[in-house]
Amino acid sequence: MDTLNFIIKNYTNVLFLTWEHIFMVSISLIIATAIGVPLGIVITKNENLAKKVINGANIIMTVPSIALFGLMMPVLALIGHGLGKVPAIIALILYSQLPIIRNTYVAIKNVSPSMRNAGRGMGMNRWQLLKEVEIPIAIPVIVAGLRTAAVMNIGIAAIAAYVGAGGLGVYIQNGIDRVYPEMILAGALLVSIFAILVDAGMALLERALTPTGILIQKRLSE
Amino acid sequence: MITYDHVTKIFGEGQDTVTALEDVTFTIEKGEIVIFLGPSGCGKTTTLRLTNRLESITRGTIEVNGKNIMDMDTVQLRRQMGYVIQDIGLFPNKTIADNVAVVPKLLGWPKNKIQDRIDELLTMVRLDPEIYRNRYPAELSGGQQQRVGVARGLAADPEILLMDEPFGAIDPINREEIQDEFLKVQEKLKKTIAFVSHDIHEAIKMGDKIALFENGRLVQYERPEILLTQPKNKYVSDFVGADRALKVLGIIKVGEVFNPEPQNVVQGFEPAQTVLNIMDQKKEKFYVVVDQDKPVGYVTKKMIKYEKGPVSAVAEKFPVHLRKRTPTRDALSYMLMHDFQTLCVVDEKNSFQGTVTYDDIQLKIRESYAGEEDQ
Ligand SMILES: Nc1ncnc2c1ncn2[C@@H]1O[C@H](COP(=O)(O)OP(=O)(O)O)[C@@H](O)[C@H]1O
Ligand SMILES: [Mg+2]
Repeated sequence: MDTLNFIIKNYTNVLFLTWEHIFMVSISLIIATAIGVPLGIVITKNENLAKKVINGANIIMTVPSIALFGLMMPVLALIGHGLGKVPAIIALILYSQLPIIRNTYVAIKNVSPSMRNAGRGMGMNRWQLLKEVEIPIAIPVIVAGLRTAAVMNIGIAAIAAYVGAGGLGVYIQNGIDRVYPEMILAGALLVSIFAILVDAGMALLERALTPTGILIQKRLSE
Repeated sequence: MITYDHVTKIFGEGQDTVTALEDVTFTIEKGEIVIFLGPSGCGKTTTLRLTNRLESITRGTIEVNGKNIMDMDTVQLRRQMGYVIQDIGLFPNKTIADNVAVVPKLLGWPKNKIQDRIDELLTMVRLDPEIYRNRYPAELSGGQQQRVGVARGLAADPEILLMDEPFGAIDPINREEIQDEFLKVQEKLKKTIAFVSHDIHEAIKMGDKIALFENGRLVQYERPEILLTQPKNKYVSDFVGADRALKVLGIIKVGEVFNPEPQNVVQGFEPAQTVLNIMDQKKEKFYVVVDQDKPVGYVTKKMIKYEKGPVSAVAEKFPVHLRKRTPTRDALSYMLMHDFQTLCVVDEKNSFQGTVTYDDIQLKIRESYAGEEDQ
């Protein structure tokens, strides 16, 4: 109840921090998608490269976020962005790479060779095959990767408050510093609600982007 | 026309190589269906995939209408050849109509032309366009999907068709129908077709020529009846089966053996007693009675012995009439079933064309085997 009161009393600030959180997560997700999906597709043509790229993304994923911020700080300080939103967004982009690349890679790889044979045999070029066949078939799994990345990033963005990135993590951080339970809970509650909403939203997006024929195929094969 | 000239295909490198095709030379003439026949793994699919450059040739050359395929743009080459793959490979994200429309769209056909073409093709493969146009592949049975695959291969009206076991997933009854329909269409369109099959019956029925493979080698390349009657070696005769004489009867049509001017024919208005005299003179026991160009039946001496009127009054109807395109196998089986040695051949207007006798058929079979006996 006190937590709710806290939120109502500070609603302008709540809105601002929520906006900051949304901003960081969406900007990083957009950039991460722009990098990860094409990369995931490109590496399907080269097993060796694929192993390296996915291993690389795996290693990034295992670095704890606080440590990653610490590692980036001296480098980014050189361009005057050791603290703030820039290190946060870069970190989120890096963390998103594994689910996005891996899902894209696996989804495209799993398109049955007979589709590829048929498409190529009928005179589709590489790009047409990708656009007309491979991506539409792979899209549910690719979007599932984005969903994982988005939800994960909402959590990591909360930690980014420690490098001065703003967002709802600010309540958690300040609340701990000031031993102010309502503030901590407000931050935690809002982050959680945000994550749940985004998860649900991405689930809807996944469904909306899946071609009807694929939905029917799934339903009938169950 | 497709020419294979000393074509060899080796898969893999170093230690584990597979020679899928070895020094294969033959030509598919324009407008002919050639069946690539043989057991699984003998190189049929590989030959097809070399033709549209889905695989690269190790040695030798393939020419399409006199042009080396290596000098052609792959995408252009493929778009001028319809391709029906062995495992169907419909795109699950596209409707049936959009699946069929793939190549026409790639070629930039106008929308309404594509729509008309889709309906025409679906009808041809016996899928009602109204029902199936907007469905998705997952909603169709395997056999139906395969028919869509055939329609898709034919979509842009390519001069050349590469078909890899295109009817394999269709149930036997529908398969016969689709084969018949396909042959009818082919009679009009006269496409150049490379058609993979492992089924000798299909090969005999569909093929103008059969290319029989064994372990990547072309063993015999011949018209079906020659393959059946003059198999080159034991592999061929084993493959075509012990009942090859019967299969030959399936290929040879009544039109090739019938007698257009049989002597034992009389007009229906002739008096029975006159006919009886003629039969005595010619020592014939069986006469066909024709009235105004239509066969009305037959008479034997016994039947007309006491008849005073015209011979048509006592003529007995034939149980069945044959057409020129009836296989001699069917003619023979009617003869056995109804205990006749002679049957009439009629055209589509039921006009009398001639007769077929048991001897006519037997003579033709003996001719076919003549080559074999020489060896
Ligand atoms: N991509 C490939 N890599 C290695 N071997 C192959 C490949 N494709 C076919 N083969 C081999 O080539 C031979 C002929 O295969 P294929 O042409 O598919 O036979 P068919 O269509 O007559 O059943 C088989 O031994 C097969 O294992
Ligand atoms: Mg095959």
